[in-house]
Amino acid sequence: MPKRSDERLIAYLDGAVDVTERREVEAWLETDPVARDQLAALANSASLARLAFDDVMHEPVPDRLLAAARGETVSSNNPTKIVPFMVWRGSARRGGLRGSWAGLPVAASLFGLLLGGSAAYLGVSKFMPGGLGGRPPAVEMAAADNAWLENAAGYFKLSASAGDGLIDVPATSDPHEALQKIGQSVPQGVRLPDLKPWGLNFRGARLVVAEGRPAAELIFTTDNKAIGPLSLIIGSSKEPDAAPTLARRQDVNLLYWRHQGRAYVLVGQADAGYLWGIANDVAWQLDAV
Amino acid sequence: MNNRFSDQLIAVLPRLRRFARGLTGSVVEADDLVQAACERALARQHQFQEGTRFDSWMFRIVQTIWIDQIRSRDVRKEDGEVAEDRLGSDEPVRRIEARLALDEVRRAVDRLPADQRTVLLLVTVDGLSYKEAAEVVRVPVGTIMSRLARARIALQSHLEASGAMRRSTNDAEAQ
Repeated sequence: MPKRSDERLIAYLDGAVDVTERREVEAWLETDPVARDQLAALANSASLARLAFDDVMHEPVPDRLLAAARGETVSSNNPTKIVPFMVWRGSARRGGLRGSWAGLPVAASLFGLLLGGSAAYLGVSKFMPGGLGGRPPAVEMAAADNAWLENAAGYFKLSASAGDGLIDVPATSDPHEALQKIGQSVPQGVRLPDLKPWGLNFRGARLVVAEGRPAAELIFTTDNKAIGPLSLIIGSSKEPDAAPTLARRQDVNLLYWRHQGRAYVLVGQADAGYLWGIANDVAWQLDAV
Repeated sequence: MNNRFSDQLIAVLPRLRRFARGLTGSVVEADDLVQAACERALARQHQFQEGTRFDSWMFRIVQTIWIDQIRSRDVRKEDGEVAEDRLGSDEPVRRIEARLALDEVRRAVDRLPADQRTVLLLVTVDGLSYKEAAEVVRVPVGTIMSRLARARIALQSHLEASGAMRRSTNDAEAQ
């Protein structure tokens, strides 16, 4: 008579039993409804344990850890340091019988709810070196870009400190209405990315100038202090496409790129990891890379 | 600096962070732990044997540093710290409920004894085989099996007592 224990059920669930043991466990399960229930409960709790730590896998890796992995130190006084956001592309593997967990529907359901929160990360490969963008981030702007980056940093600081007073078109119940109004002044129009999965709420938009042309500053706010308020500036550009580049001006971080006649800059005090993640999401939603 | 070594290290960072998050139960402590592990790995990269698993080697470094830390000081954290900054003000109620259920799971994992928690994170969360986990923790496979069984049963009991399992089931039925 094989040993009947939770340990054995768990090894069975984990695919850590040999063929003989597997058959014994399956024979046991066929005749013992209590064991079947226990198996389902164990599978369910294991799925929940995995889900409970899944968020971490989708978080941007902090700069300091990327720097530590490279044997560097991160200095806040180093305005031109480029730390590209690396993406984890999945667990090493999933073993044995884990694909047939009895509790999987429950966990999958829960995962479905959480997916909305992490779906934004699914498109991150667009900006990755070797991804669809295919190019490593440039190290720094050309000198000609400096003025407009300075302006972008200034626009952000102004909108972040001035509250709603500077907003030309506040987000009403229909934020797209705000975009429509401001889009009339901006060549090619402007679309609004949904950044709610990042906890960012669209507050309104205003007209600014980028590269000497009218541009829209989309202003987002959040309760998440790790990200803080953030602006996405979208304008038209006659310059050639440019790879995403991180810069720092006036104590704020900027992530800047050009694609098919548009210039984009994401401005905020969030660290580079967040900016890369959010910019990837923007690029994905707006087909902007 | 060996670029390939750094590339391997960067690739495994998300898993190390997840492992460390589960061990410490704290966002900040976990990243401190991973940073210390990176620094130690770089200092001792000559000790890594090509052809062996880099991720297992890094897991072992993280685990060793963590054990050293909990031996040298009583590392405890406040309940709810894990959930910091995770609840946006406008998240739908159902998503918040799901997150609360997962917070409960994290708290249940946090209540496990350190040796059980380690094995649960390596095998159940990260998907290492029993043999690989045994190599990381440096104990026999049989010990991994018994620790894992105790951890899984305890986790299940915690979750049933807290209602997290019931909430997740109800949630599934509501779909």
